[in-house]
Amino acid sequence: MKEKEKKELEELQSQVPETEVAEAAPEAAPEAAPETAETKPEYSKFRYAWGACLAFFGISSKTHRASKKRAKLVLDIATYIVLIFGAFIMVYPFWWMIAGSFAFTSSNASGSATTLTSLVWWPSLNTFNAGETGIHPFYNYAIVFTKGLQNPETGTQIFASNFNYWRAVGNNLFYSIVPVVVGVITSASAAFAFAKIEWIGRNQVFFFLLAAIMVPGPSIMAAQYAMYAAIGFTNSWLVMVIPGLFGSIMTAFFIRQFLFGMPTSIIEAAKIDGAGYFRIFCQFILPLAMPAIMAQGLLSFMGCWNNYVGSFIFIDPTNEWINLPHAMTIMDSNTTATDKAPVIAASVVCIIPVLILFGAFQKTIIGSLMLTGSKE
Amino acid sequence: MEEFYSASAAEADALTDADVVDSSAEMEEVVPKKKERKPINQQKLQDNLWGWIFCAPLIIGTVWFVYSAFVMALMLSFTNYDMSTNLSLGTVLGNLGKYAYKASTIDPETGIAIPVGSGDALHWYKEVFTHTIMLDKTYPANEMGLHLFNTVFYMIGIPIGMILSMFFAVCMSRDIKGGNVFRVLYYIPCVASTISIVYTFRIMFSTDGVMNKLFGGISLNWLNPVNPLTWNIVTGSQTPNAFMDSTYWCQGLVSKAVIVIMSVWKGLGGTIILYVAGLSGVNAATKEAAQIDGANGWQIFWKVMMPDLYPTIFYNIVTSVIGGMQIYMEPVLLCGEQINTSGYVSLVYRYGLNSDKMSVRNPSAGAAYGMVLAVMIFVMTLFQFWLDSRKED
Repeated sequence: MKEKEKKELEELQSQVPETEVAEAAPEAAPEAAPETAETKPEYSKFRYAWGACLAFFGISSKTHRASKKRAKLVLDIATYIVLIFGAFIMVYPFWWMIAGSFAFTSSNASGSATTLTSLVWWPSLNTFNAGETGIHPFYNYAIVFTKGLQNPETGTQIFASNFNYWRAVGNNLFYSIVPVVVGVITSASAAFAFAKIEWIGRNQVFFFLLAAIMVPGPSIMAAQYAMYAAIGFTNSWLVMVIPGLFGSIMTAFFIRQFLFGMPTSIIEAAKIDGAGYFRIFCQFILPLAMPAIMAQGLLSFMGCWNNYVGSFIFIDPTNEWINLPHAMTIMDSNTTATDKAPVIAASVVCIIPVLILFGAFQKTIIGSLMLTGSKE
Repeated sequence: MEEFYSASAAEADALTDADVVDSSAEMEEVVPKKKERKPINQQKLQDNLWGWIFCAPLIIGTVWFVYSAFVMALMLSFTNYDMSTNLSLGTVLGNLGKYAYKASTIDPETGIAIPVGSGDALHWYKEVFTHTIMLDKTYPANEMGLHLFNTVFYMIGIPIGMILSMFFAVCMSRDIKGGNVFRVLYYIPCVASTISIVYTFRIMFSTDGVMNKLFGGISLNWLNPVNPLTWNIVTGSQTPNAFMDSTYWCQGLVSKAVIVIMSVWKGLGGTIILYVAGLSGVNAATKEAAQIDGANGWQIFWKVMMPDLYPTIFYNIVTSVIGGMQIYMEPVLLCGEQINTSGYVSLVYRYGLNSDKMSVRNPSAGAAYGMVLAVMIFVMTLFQFWLDSRKED
């Protein structure tokens, strides 16, 4: 940072006409710089060499003036180095995760196994070259889906019913798709009402809803548990789906912001042509606000997919309605400390769908984040 | 509200405005009343009808899952409603006076708790602030204080993350090719599941893991909270030291550092996007003018860009502090429920919802801990807004 700023400073100074610099210098420090504008100061050979060196890297000094183009180039290269370094730090754990998911860690007949702790780039003994019979490249993934939720010692299922990891994946899909699709539409309808319809109590209701954001989730967690238990929501799919169906305030808020930017004349024209509000919402608002709705839907899908706390609190770890992250923690507690490769494979399974979605829709998501200025 | 009423009454055909507001979401009442009087403004009727209908799901959801839960939490915190009793939630909430917290003894025959003595509605709140635990079975310590210390310690990550993300955002908003690619790459940790990341970091930060290799082959045990001052990070041996072992606040500092690193790493992308959006909104003309007047890069950053970025930074600080007070999953998953790593929220869980450690779930206790948390967050937010208002003066 400092170096970069210094470079910028030097670059700016190089733009100032030389006479000005020469005049300004004695004014600022008359004792330190006795040279006048007329007598050109003498520098040592070393100082000249150093100045040439700096100029090569685009930094102007008293002896040499660097070209602006060179300065820009050097600064660009420095920026790229910094950004690539940062990107490496951001992405490396994911590479580690993928490499780890192919490590062969379970002790086998020949006793050879690798430990994940020594993994840096690629496991020394991986499932590609484990050399054991019955071990294929995707061994760890197969373990996740076949024995993932078995007790490792007795080999019995943790769950009473015939429950395997696929069920957790299915649950998670159900918990992420149904509430998100319905919830985004209900949020959009509320946003439409807030942005484009004049109704009595609109502002009061809006602030009433906005104030609910101030209530921190953990502080009402216990009461929610009591309430859900009283109405029979806990330990079933209801608790993960029903609250989401009513939409979320933040989603409604952001879609409302988007709708404010839309011309009202479309709605007026539709009204004059005799369309009711329901028809306007279905035929105009939903298609026109699709970018915002998509982005918010994708973000809430990711939130629901990764929602561990909800399942952890409201669903017992022995219940078949647990979601995927919760199943992961159960699986983790059932594996030995040295055989963690299947857990890492499960982590990859949990991350891949979100990564694919994010990769496919990154433009929509990042664009929406930049537009609304939200963080999640 | 009053202003609103008078303003709407002034309108010629403000038929039953006040009634509509009072009758909240119940559309059935609004419609017949409107039809009684004349002239009827069909358009206004439609507006009001559909406005409420479109909003109804969100209003019902918020009232049901947030506001009623909040009121219930407040009421429950004065009672002793644990999930083992046969009482229904409605009975308890309907007779708060009767079911206010009372000290109780367990009946040896039936195993049911029998209340003794008079009511002590504030019992759980006293418990929150005074509950003492024994560290090493010797040193008494305030449980809430230790957990709050951990929570506040994790907030070190907020300024670190802000500076880092500002730096990267400035880099990205330079006129270079591929800025978008970096934005996407930096955002990946934000969309990834916390559990997956925790399981990865747990192994990467283990005694002979990648991180220790990176630091030159040391054998630091990052995630096992031991006193770093008596811990030889090179050999991994520990010299006992009675005084240092008793100062619990410096135990687990290394584990806390891992949690800070992880939360900064995970949250960086979101903040970067926030700042990139903010930086692109900085007026280019102003920047150019400052450049021509001879301001250097540093001055432009502080005097031109910072004032424009201030709302973004303020929003970021407020949301980060609110989120930081609620930290729960990361410490618990990385280090387990430890007195020197767990955040405050784990108390809500441990006393209110955990059926393993306590014999029964006791939402009353959890609600009291939660209410204290809500008040703390509210006060901190108000304080930040107060600071903000002072700055503008």
